[in-house]
Amino acid sequence: MERDQLLGMIKEEQAKNGSVSDGAMAHIAQTLHLPIGNVYGVTTFYSFLSTRPLGRHVIHICKSVPCFLQNGAMMAAAIEKELGISPGETTSDGRFSFELTNCIGACDQAPAMLVDDEVYGDLTPEKIGEILKSFE
Amino acid sequence: MGDVKLIIDGTEVSGPSGMTILEAANETDINIPTLCHRPDLKPEGNCRICVVEVEGSPRLVASCHTPITEGMVINTCTPKALAARKTVVELLIAGHTGPCVTDECAKDCELHYLAAELEVGPPRFQVKARRSYPMETLSPYVQRDMGRCILCRRCVRACTEIAKKNVFSMAYRGFHSKVVVDCDVPLDKEECRDCGICIDYCPTSALTKPNKGVS
Ligand code: SF4
Ligand code: FES
Ligand code: FES
Repeated sequence: MERDQLLGMIKEEQAKNGSVSDGAMAHIAQTLHLPIGNVYGVTTFYSFLSTRPLGRHVIHICKSVPCFLQNGAMMAAAIEKELGISPGETTSDGRFSFELTNCIGACDQAPAMLVDDEVYGDLTPEKIGEILKSFE
Repeated sequence: MGDVKLIIDGTEVSGPSGMTILEAANETDINIPTLCHRPDLKPEGNCRICVVEVEGSPRLVASCHTPITEGMVINTCTPKALAARKTVVELLIAGHTGPCVTDECAKDCELHYLAAELEVGPPRFQVKARRSYPMETLSPYVQRDMGRCILCRRCVRACTEIAKKNVFSMAYRGFHSKVVVDCDVPLDKEECRDCGICIDYCPTSALTKPNKGVS
């Protein structure tokens, strides 16, 4: 089944170009003989795949229940305030993109976030400000 | 006569292997409500309206896609099953937008019909942000109001399996799930003509013929 290769191809595109453009989705759809909507559906299902270009660093704030109960929403608000962008947006200087994600397996350190591939736990709004400073 | 024997609501039933609980029940005139399932579409078990109790199973099972097995003892109308069905309807209604209650279209809506049948009372669930999308009126054949969609996926399957057109796909996740066209553009596709199958299969007023629906 061609569908089996779908996720692999999307991931490869994401790794190579940082996002999956409409053109790339059309190409994948054509190669696998699938409707482009199916490619779009799979791409938008995963928070680590993006249909729009991302900034140099990607912040993923966890929105699952354990983090939520430890004020995860407040951390998302802190990012919004710090960077002036909402989830799904990129700063105008291209430094950060901000996304929400489901559990990243760091519930013991809730509330938690990822910046690129690095996990940061036991967050507070102050701590977030400090962490973001270390990224160019 | 089939070879798999089981008991549904105290009646002994048999059917060929591969038959679903729902099909077996229907053969003996036992009625189980369904929403996302239609006999001529592949069952997907999306909505959980058709849940029944199977003795020995800790969980309710969706009868539309669960095959019968030898010696199964099934009860279709237990308080647990009824409560679950009712909650499913309540949750689907809670996420719905539009003035459905006062709406003309609502009388044709299967969800409203089920709500009445299951005696669903006043809303119990508050949803912070209801699902709301702009009305899609570009296509001369199908008008889409996705705020009224309950994600049963009947249109997706009808278009793929019967019309063989693949116009619709599922995208996004969780509360943001949506039936999309291509990369989530308003419906206006060359291959979508006036077959109207998706409209016939839609249980709500999410899909209508242009001009006939409410705007
Ligand atoms: S548009 Fe109608 S048929 Fe399609 S998924 Fe929504 S409710 Fe079901
Ligand atoms: S819930 Fe946030 S890391 Fe698991
Ligand atoms: S009718 Fe069986 S899960 Fe929807």
